[in-house]
Amino acid sequence: MENGSGCLNGSGAADSAEKAQQQQQCPAVQLSERNREAVRVIGQYLRELGLARSAEALVLEAGCPLESGAAAQFRSSVLLGDWDGAEASLASLRRALWRESSWSEIAFRLAEQRYLELLESGAHIAALCVLRGKLTPLQLSPDRLHRLSGLIMCSGPEELRQLSGWSGAAGGTRQALLDSVEQFFPPSVMLPPKRLSVLLDQAVRAQVSRCRHHNTSLSPDQLTLLADHSCQAAASVPSVCSQVLDAHQDEVHVCQFSPNGRFLATGGRDCVAIVWLVEAAANPPGAPRVRHHLTLRIGEERGGVAWLAWSPDSRLLLACAAEEATEVIVWEAETGDCIKKLKHRDEDSLTTAAWLPDSNHFVVGGNRGHFYLCSVDVGFEKAWDFIRVVALATRREDDGGTAVLAADTFARIRRYRFDTMQDETLFREDGPVMSMSISQDETLLAVCVASAGVHLWDLRLRVCRRRLHGLTHGAYLLHASIGGPNQDFVASGSHDARVCVWHRGCQAGDGAQQHLLPDKLSGHGGLVSCVSWNPRHHGMLASASDDCTVRIWLPASLAAAAQAASADGTGPGGAGFSSNGCCSSTVSKHQPPPLL
Amino acid sequence: KSPEFNASYSMGRLHIEHMGGERVFSCANCDCPLTNRQQLISTRFTGATGRAFLFNRVVNLDTSELQDRVMLTGRHMVRDVSCRKCKTKLGWVYEFATEESQQYKEGKIILERALINESEGFPDPVKD
Repeated sequence: MENGSGCLNGSGAADSAEKAQQQQQCPAVQLSERNREAVRVIGQYLRELGLARSAEALVLEAGCPLESGAAAQFRSSVLLGDWDGAEASLASLRRALWRESSWSEIAFRLAEQRYLELLESGAHIAALCVLRGKLTPLQLSPDRLHRLSGLIMCSGPEELRQLSGWSGAAGGTRQALLDSVEQFFPPSVMLPPKRLSVLLDQAVRAQVSRCRHHNTSLSPDQLTLLADHSCQAAASVPSVCSQVLDAHQDEVHVCQFSPNGRFLATGGRDCVAIVWLVEAAANPPGAPRVRHHLTLRIGEERGGVAWLAWSPDSRLLLACAAEEATEVIVWEAETGDCIKKLKHRDEDSLTTAAWLPDSNHFVVGGNRGHFYLCSVDVGFEKAWDFIRVVALATRREDDGGTAVLAADTFARIRRYRFDTMQDETLFREDGPVMSMSISQDETLLAVCVASAGVHLWDLRLRVCRRRLHGLTHGAYLLHASIGGPNQDFVASGSHDARVCVWHRGCQAGDGAQQHLLPDKLSGHGGLVSCVSWNPRHHGMLASASDDCTVRIWLPASLAAAAQAASADGTGPGGAGFSSNGCCSSTVSKHQPPPLL
Repeated sequence: KSPEFNASYSMGRLHIEHMGGERVFSCANCDCPLTNRQQLISTRFTGATGRAFLFNRVVNLDTSELQDRVMLTGRHMVRDVSCRKCKTKLGWVYEFATEESQQYKEGKIILERALINESEGFPDPVKD
């Protein structure tokens, strides 16, 4: 490294003697190699912030220049627009390059900046000289030369800037040129650009990946540097039951929040679908509460509500029945009007459904082999024969069409395009599939496999990302749900009357194992069949159980605020509010529902 | 075709598997799918109600506790099997056969012909 007298900017001015004197007056601090690197990186950071005098003082006191003399000279020449000086510095730096061949690239970029600046200021003759005398002899890519020579035709600086995408001498292009050149030199000669910022960013990202309960949508550069990041479980993961909704008369088998997070639909063996409104309390903000909105009946002979599906615009609710499931019903959620009763054939069994993005078309199916594309306008449209459907989801594809994902009784998850009638097997599960749920951003699929837990599949990479264990297995259907601002949380029901919540973790490492075991939420008195995350209030979870209730779970900090804010608040411990506002004690024992 | 359920409550919605196949066997009482023709090993068995079939694999069954039974073919350890949906007894499963010549039956299921229906299914259209 060219050190010379240890001057910062190598200006070689008349006050070098004074500087040498200052040098001797500063105490000589012995710095290790790592310390010197740290000083250089900090000095660069200060200089980038515009605190040039602080940077100089730092260098002087540490006795450790940020970069070599010639490099410093090169930098200041470029920033001042002294192109000849820059070229001279570059020549002396030539032997320090990683690769000799990159010298011509740097010289080209230098000359290109000079050329563009000359054009911008209107000195066309001088620009032509640069083109002929500096750029052409380098014999680099002819395309770039052609493009640059074409720019001479520009009528003014505005047009020049627009056509070339170059933002002008005053637009930070000189600094950009320096940044782009730094990569060609080893760090001992020139530091990589913004080195300290890069290091800090890496550190924060590493902390985020270790965060067990990470549930925030803040980007890494918004997180504080002053302490290691870890989300407080109390603030992000649901752990307290804030409400117990007991409007149902029998086991509740399905619960679904609408995509806009404003509604909750629940249904079960009492053949009734209830729509609830989610209200975010104004004071304090962010403590959502649920209140009863509508009760919709599907008919007593139909064995209960098997599935509820919200249209993507959150306007329509579709219900499938459990037995005699020949008909699906669509209501408008706000008013409760029955929009459509769709029936195709008397022998149909349609127990699961999913909407397509236009909120008009939907697919329905069942394990007797009926798999239909229908719409609210027209009714039945198309059938796909001989597929025994267990669960459905839809996903937008790159070409604008929609793929229907269907899990079938052969434990396959396949992709169907009803517009092109193409199908393809995506995944094969190693056990029978009970249910399937897609994440809000359509990248992840949570598959509940009988006696095997929840498997998370990545739909872009087409691999299984995680196998989540810890829930209690049994003979009954369980549903899972993916939630959180970054699709980081998975929740599912369980046969031991508890709700399981996993943080799926993004990094394999020593922290990976602990992410696989779920947090378990107790409170229900019977099997928990279905769970649903609120897509807008990320910490809010609903669970449906055989104890005939639906419970709302919130993070501890929000739940405390919610109970304090309501009129007839009760103490902690799981006792919550029923839908009509009266206090009800926790259902601690399973009570058999009335005989049908 | 209203199925007759046991009057006592059942928790949750049962997970009912389906093995598919071109000829499907299901419970005569509630039509719950059980198995298919490809799984049929032998038709020459006898149960309490008469003819019985031996199947390789059957789904949607609940099993009883282990029982020691002496049959025409020898002494066996069996469990009774019943339909998971309606709890009707359908047959039994062999867990252990004392005689070596009978060990081929271990793990296989007997369903009594009078208690099951055979119906038309369809082949799996997926080629891959």
